[in-house]
Amino acid sequence: MNERVSSQRMPIVSNSHASAQRPHHLRIVFTGSGSEYFRIWIVNLLLMLLTLGLYYPWAKVRRLRYFHGNTLVGGEPLDFHGDPKKMLKGFLMVALLLMAYSVAGKFSATAGFLAFLIVMAIWPALFKSSMQFRLANTSWRGLRFGFKGSLPDVYRAMLPIFIPGMIIVGALIPVVDPERPPSWYLATTLGATLLGGLLAPWLLWNLKRYQHNHYGLASLQTSFRASLGAFYKLHLKISGVAVLVMLGSAIAVGIGVYFFAGNLAAAPGRKGAPTAMIGVVLGALIGMLAMLVVIKPYATSRLQNLLWSRTGNASVRFLSHLRFRPLLWLTVKNWLLVLLTFGLYWPFAAVATARMRLQAVTVKTRIDPDSLIGQIRDDEGDAAGDAAGDMFGLDIGL
Amino acid sequence: MVQSLAAPLAATYFDGLSARARPVMLRIDGTHLRINGEDTDRAVPLSEVQWPERTRHGLRLAHLRGGGSLQCADAQAWDAWRASHGLRDTLVVRMQQSWPWVAGSLAALVLLVLALQQWGLPVLSRAVVAATPASIDTALGEATLQAIDAQLMQPSQLPAGEQARLRAAFTRAVAALPARQVPTWQLVFRKSRIGPNAFALPGGTMVMTDELVQLVDADEQVITAVLAHELGHVQQRHGLRMLVQVAVLGAVSGAVLGDFSSMLASVPVFLGQAGYSREAEREADAAAVQVLRAAALSPRLMVTLFDKLAAARHKKEREPASARAQDHWLGIAFASHPPDAARVQFFQAAANQR
Repeated sequence: MNERVSSQRMPIVSNSHASAQRPHHLRIVFTGSGSEYFRIWIVNLLLMLLTLGLYYPWAKVRRLRYFHGNTLVGGEPLDFHGDPKKMLKGFLMVALLLMAYSVAGKFSATAGFLAFLIVMAIWPALFKSSMQFRLANTSWRGLRFGFKGSLPDVYRAMLPIFIPGMIIVGALIPVVDPERPPSWYLATTLGATLLGGLLAPWLLWNLKRYQHNHYGLASLQTSFRASLGAFYKLHLKISGVAVLVMLGSAIAVGIGVYFFAGNLAAAPGRKGAPTAMIGVVLGALIGMLAMLVVIKPYATSRLQNLLWSRTGNASVRFLSHLRFRPLLWLTVKNWLLVLLTFGLYWPFAAVATARMRLQAVTVKTRIDPDSLIGQIRDDEGDAAGDAAGDMFGLDIGL
Repeated sequence: MVQSLAAPLAATYFDGLSARARPVMLRIDGTHLRINGEDTDRAVPLSEVQWPERTRHGLRLAHLRGGGSLQCADAQAWDAWRASHGLRDTLVVRMQQSWPWVAGSLAALVLLVLALQQWGLPVLSRAVVAATPASIDTALGEATLQAIDAQLMQPSQLPAGEQARLRAAFTRAVAALPARQVPTWQLVFRKSRIGPNAFALPGGTMVMTDELVQLVDADEQVITAVLAHELGHVQQRHGLRMLVQVAVLGAVSGAVLGDFSSMLASVPVFLGQAGYSREAEREADAAAVQVLRAAALSPRLMVTLFDKLAAARHKKEREPASARAQDHWLGIAFASHPPDAARVQFFQAAANQR
């Protein structure tokens, strides 16, 4: 294993003294192992359960240090510096907020709308500090990364995301008699949903542009050059694949039910109705699985390539060549084994997926990494943001 | 003596200001870590070194408080060097690196989750519910009734006099109970899209559908038995308890499986919820028997209800009466109620005990 690591360290020094014009290719290599992460995960879970969840930040730091430390960029590992005690405070704050949010809707439409407004008002700020916290606590070759996005920008990037939801939740308030919602309410809901669907690529582009325009290391800052058109094109492709997969699984289920039901009908007995029910349930399940197992890896691979290949500046570029087919097989295998092992395979799956996604990326730079000089440390952001990032499922997406 | 014997360790130092890698030698003398290289000479108190944890894969990265970090690609050499200075791994690291410990942790984890599901969570939720003011139940019940009214219900078409007669019958039955055992309750009638049914909401509102009243031919004794069961739910505050149990179950399941798939994480929640729901039904059945006995009514009244429900179901599905699809074990695991046969048996046994 040691040989593996040291041989991977070779390429980075290959032309460190060459002219500044010649690009360095920094390969990304992931050296983590599933069985080792399994051990870390099990102990983390046990300690979390024993401490009623309070151990969560420590577990997260262990996990991140393992994944970062095994991600070698040009032979040198990333590192994570987050302080679990700070993260615990943020975790508790956000947990309280989320609990209040989920309870509010149960009491009345107005309380639900108010909670929605409050979350909407602070979510972008939390998102920004989540990015800041994560990057300021990540380092490579002793230098901390940074996130330079501003507060007004994050509101500009994220508030549009809430528009459809706000229309739907807000329109419920003037409805006097929820027993018979007026037709304008139904029309509004339908319109808002449609609007959300049409705007989705723009909303995502807006958000990703904010993220990818503001990553920094030393004096370098990335910029994002993917066009809005590319996002709409990708959205269309993903929708097309989704329709194909859905049609395929619907036909497969139809054929299966036809033969299954036919056999049963031939046999003397009962249960015509239950068989049809089983068919419908099975169909819905297979459709959902197809969504997760086929369409998600397709979207993941295409989006990662689009995002990262279009991120960079004059002296640094990322190249991402994540292929769909290997990711599809990996996803199928992961799902099968996770289901068969009642979830115990999950850490192996996480490591294998991280390896495939990370190793698809190369960093191309004209700057000799040795010559990078750190800037004055950026604001670290708030650990509350980091916790919020976890709960709302935000991440850097790599 | 020991310290001077220990050989220095070759590592790489980053000062945190530039990305330049500096080869250095590390030495521990007494209370300080000494870092020496071509243009580096630093001594860091041991308490200010954040040591890396031992892993089988990956290299070693140590953080120095006040900036700077150390990196060593030869993990084995690092571990041996550290051990030679008597620096020991933490308990967590030793657990993570030993398969027996991990196997033990896994076993403990499974046992803990099972115990939590079986005993811990019901006890916890009872405590939470006991500490929650009743006004919360009331507010929840009102919101739920509004939502149900909007989606599933229409105003009742039973004559007001008929409603009053059934309400009075139940009031008489409950009057036989000791006063402290009777929670506040309201009874409302609705015409429904879900057929014959009755249920209790948090806060004490019991909803009875017109269809159920018609099914039992408005027999006030059978209606009283059904309401006695619903009163059991109200008395035990099952609605609120369910909420607490599902929330905790969701949190645990999310921690284990949420990273992988939130859909998969909802499966244990769903199964657990169904289990708790069946338990709650059993408790409510037991409470119903108490009410009926106090009012000098036979628990067999509930059997009448089940017979009529079954007859109505079979008429609709045109199935032979023997085929009870729900009694399959898989069906039971997903069902929110215990199998009818078991409940009928329970009430029959209760009736025979007298």
